[in-house]
Amino acid sequence: MGTGENNNSSRHGNLWYEAWLRFRRNRLAMVGLIMVISVILIAIFAPYIAPYDPLKQLIWTEGKAIKLAPPSSSHIMGTDFYGRDVLSRIIFGARISLQIGIFATIVSLLIGVPLGALAGYFPGWVDDLISWLINVVFAFPFILFVLAVVAVFKNPSMIVIYLAIGLVTWVQIARVVRAQFISLREREFVEAARALGLPTWRIIFIHILPNALAPVIVQATLGMGSIIMIEAGLAFLGFGAQPPTPSWGLMISIGQKFLATGHWWWAIFPGLAIMYTVLAFNFLGDGLRDALDVRLKR
Amino acid sequence: MLSYIIRRLLYTIPVIWGVVTVVFLLMAVVPGDPARIMMGQRGDPETLARIRSDLGLDLPIHQQYFRFLKEVAKGDLGTSYRTNQKVSHAIVERFPATFRLAFWAMIFASAIGVTAGILSAVKQYSFFDYSAMFFAIAGVSAPVFWVGLILLFIFAYNLNVIPGVGYGEGSVLYLILPVITLGVRPAALIARLTRSCMLEVLNQDYIRTARAKGLGEKTVILKHALKNAMIPVITIIGTQLSALLSGAVLTETIFAWPGIGRLAVEALVARDFPMIRGTVIFMALIFLVANIVVDISYGFIDPRVRYS
Amino acid sequence: MNKRSFLIIALFVCLTIFISGVGMAADAPQYGGVLKWREINDPPKGDPAMATDTVSSRMILCIFDTLVENHPDGEGLLPALAESWEGNEDGTVWKFHLRKGVRFQKEHMGKPTENKGREVKAADWKYSFERLVHVNSPRAYFLDMLKGYQDFVDGKVQEWTGIKVIDDYTLQFELEYSFAPFVSVLAYNSFMVIPKEDADKWGKDFNFHPIGTGAFVLDKWEHDQKVVLKRNPDYWRKDADGNSMPYLDSVEIMVIPDNTIAYQEFKKGNIDAFPDFPDEFYVEAKEKFGKLFQERPWVGTYYYGFNNSKPPFKDNKDLRQAFNYAVNRELISELVLEGRYSAGKGVLPPGMPGYNKDLQGYSFDPIKAKTLLAAAGYPNGIEVELQVNNNPRHRAVAEAIQAQLMDLGIKLNLKILDWGVHLDMCERAETQMFRMGWVVDYMDPDNFLFVLLHSDNHGAKGNYAFYKDPEVDKLLAEARIETDWNKRMSLYRKAEQMIVEDAPWIFLFHYSTSLLAQEWVRGIYLPAMGDYYTALYNVWINR
Repeated sequence: MGTGENNNSSRHGNLWYEAWLRFRRNRLAMVGLIMVISVILIAIFAPYIAPYDPLKQLIWTEGKAIKLAPPSSSHIMGTDFYGRDVLSRIIFGARISLQIGIFATIVSLLIGVPLGALAGYFPGWVDDLISWLINVVFAFPFILFVLAVVAVFKNPSMIVIYLAIGLVTWVQIARVVRAQFISLREREFVEAARALGLPTWRIIFIHILPNALAPVIVQATLGMGSIIMIEAGLAFLGFGAQPPTPSWGLMISIGQKFLATGHWWWAIFPGLAIMYTVLAFNFLGDGLRDALDVRLKR
Repeated sequence: MLSYIIRRLLYTIPVIWGVVTVVFLLMAVVPGDPARIMMGQRGDPETLARIRSDLGLDLPIHQQYFRFLKEVAKGDLGTSYRTNQKVSHAIVERFPATFRLAFWAMIFASAIGVTAGILSAVKQYSFFDYSAMFFAIAGVSAPVFWVGLILLFIFAYNLNVIPGVGYGEGSVLYLILPVITLGVRPAALIARLTRSCMLEVLNQDYIRTARAKGLGEKTVILKHALKNAMIPVITIIGTQLSALLSGAVLTETIFAWPGIGRLAVEALVARDFPMIRGTVIFMALIFLVANIVVDISYGFIDPRVRYS
Repeated sequence: MNKRSFLIIALFVCLTIFISGVGMAADAPQYGGVLKWREINDPPKGDPAMATDTVSSRMILCIFDTLVENHPDGEGLLPALAESWEGNEDGTVWKFHLRKGVRFQKEHMGKPTENKGREVKAADWKYSFERLVHVNSPRAYFLDMLKGYQDFVDGKVQEWTGIKVIDDYTLQFELEYSFAPFVSVLAYNSFMVIPKEDADKWGKDFNFHPIGTGAFVLDKWEHDQKVVLKRNPDYWRKDADGNSMPYLDSVEIMVIPDNTIAYQEFKKGNIDAFPDFPDEFYVEAKEKFGKLFQERPWVGTYYYGFNNSKPPFKDNKDLRQAFNYAVNRELISELVLEGRYSAGKGVLPPGMPGYNKDLQGYSFDPIKAKTLLAAAGYPNGIEVELQVNNNPRHRAVAEAIQAQLMDLGIKLNLKILDWGVHLDMCERAETQMFRMGWVVDYMDPDNFLFVLLHSDNHGAKGNYAFYKDPEVDKLLAEARIETDWNKRMSLYRKAEQMIVEDAPWIFLFHYSTSLLAQEWVRGIYLPAMGDYYTALYNVWINR
């Protein structure tokens, strides 16, 4: 039994290494990786990079002139309604977006992986039940679902946003995991484990799950992008991060009112930041998909 | 085939029941009392209690649930707390606007997406191919509402070629920007999928045979390959419908479009429970039925698809 | 000067006089025309008994009439469907003499009404008031001082005994106790006369089929697009020259949710009246339209309430005062609100009887704030949560105040919630600090001081701050029953002074109300009660 497992993992080791070789050859994928790393670095070193304090409202000391000031050499992306530096807020906003992306993904993995695994491993009523649940969530217009879940909590903290987003996005993960389990559950090594009388949870989590990991990684990476966009949409409708948090979506949401008066920088630049980040995760996800040779049913 | 359709239709019942239950439960625990909101900022507790009992909000939760289920089963979605309007009337009034928006967005997306996808595949690795695919990935990466804002900023506020937001009593001019906004994402997805399908098809034997027979390149592509391009379009329509309905919520908000998405968000803020339930159930139903239609239409285009 | 040039000049002078004469004649009211009035959303309620929002009130005030109405500048009450009224010595019995010849609208949405345009009698008033209770009007309790209210509400009796029909044109109200502001409460926009025949016919749908006695009848209601109101030819009001009113052929309430598009439509001349003008275009519009932009103080107060029933603000006056000294109201108004709100000194807004313009209040004083903060036991600052309802303007103000307090070591955490949840939590005293505003229902200090700060009204009835001071309670209760105007005002003055000293709120701003109208719209006048009270029966169009 021990050898079987070892064989498995060494075979995997090779697979991962080959995947990395394939990944490296893919130019877009490498660009994606570098872009993602750049966003992470900006988020980590935000206090050192940002030219101003993102919360500092300069109007109180510098007066009307600094309110909604257009891009200039001292404020490259202009200032907002309170004379806060837009660039600095965008830099700090990277933290918020990554935080939401990571934690909401964790929530969706925590729900989606076990449910998908169970559905895929146990045909019959377990699968029927979980598949039904997945279909229900899919049929629900997701932005309304997230809005309603956020509304349920009296304290709209970041944790609530992670939870609400995770509660809709888990279905994507669960679908992928389920499909993997269905194709894997009849494989020889699973049959062997079953014949040895191993406990079911062990078969599911130790024998099958590692083999199902590649598509989950791809789905989660692509999902990061859509989670960041969902958060922006939430903030846009006034249900997202609370001020003065420099959330990109919130900045667009408040800044958009001033587009009509020609103050375009407040709403345009944060949108570019979202696009850059989502693009990064999409490139990376696509690259991973090709490298890991995963065919995702979307 | 018929039994397949019937089975699919029957399966929508438990799914709709699930949606109905989830939305009911969410509204049962959501803080914020609709009766209280109706009273305005200041209200006396006695009148509040009477309004609550008028709306049936004072019943135990399971009784409210069964009452609600019974009504939904009869096709009655109730009456709006906020405006006293029949929920079904409100939906019938608002849905055409959403349908018009979503329909044209899909037409726009298919036209742009298929054209770009085919051209990219035919001229693989050309400058056009690279730039088209770059835009396709960028299109998937931009937030819907932000695209809408930029379009507004450029075409309505600066160039003044488009009057602005609103329904404009049905004028086409008002339709253009929301349609583009909503269509960008599916257009990008269709373009990418069409390209990869086309590449696969172009390398297949029968195409080679067709070429060998001396048929012109145009004929080959239009006659043989194009048919296969329909598959990605339909797949995207199927998978993107939910995203499209959700995107419509944001697009309608930006463009002040009197559709069902905005109705739902307004109802949520006002805790107008019947209206929220009604719009959600309706949107879920549209989604399910459309998916069945999409799945069936696969069969007409691709005879290899079998229904089991 | 030769003869000829003299002649020319004389001719010119004559011509000028003639032209200006024509001009003057043209400036006399003329009939006809459409007024397009912008609103931000579809009116949710057409039934005056049910309306609690300004958009519904705008429409309702066109279609219905009250017994008495507010003077446009807030200088007392004017007769409306009641020609005169008198009270007894202690103000417990009020007799109203109704105007003769007032008729219900005989047409509605192009069809004849059930009432067939009959005359309004005292019994119709009794019916309309009792109907408030029958339909669970959220505003019926405004009249809970009328005799027999409780029994009638509880269904113990078939009629509201405090309302008596003396004869066809005399209506009498009997009060449980003397309540000085009673008559001004009757000017509130829920207390309109309604024809029983039509209310019976439509039942709950009366909400979509409002029929009254007002200057305009409902002609078409295209939800989320527009409400078309047509001239009521049988309207009771006549102008000074005896001409029948209104002058306009119709009023169209245009539903345009987006401010930008609404302003563009106004600039193109597609909208005639633009109330509650948004901040974004304020500076531009003010410059461009000058006198056409009407703006005046609105009888309302914007405040942040402390939760006076829980720590840290309970029994800590120093802390509450410290917050009051820490906010620079003038600067926030100037930089965040385009200077449109005035700094608040106390509870009563300017324009309200009893307003004390000499009240000291609190001004920005960081040193005093620091000292008080230390005295309150927080020398190193304090962290509190401020709850605000979700609205761009409130959010903007909250972010500014957050930044100002930060300078004094006060960390304000913002919690932005939907209106419904916000109300819920405030009335259950589950907040530390909250944003609230109050705009007049009836022109009497009682509507502010008693409603918002008397301990009987803790929670939903208005006192969200859970403020309680026995002395203030006593003064406010006394003022309610005092019939001597001057004595009442001095009681209110005293109570307000004590409240300001006690600082149960951060007194922030007093609102302003605005109305931008086209140059061809004549006779339009923004009243103190707010833009939605703007009278339209006396407006005419001169293009």
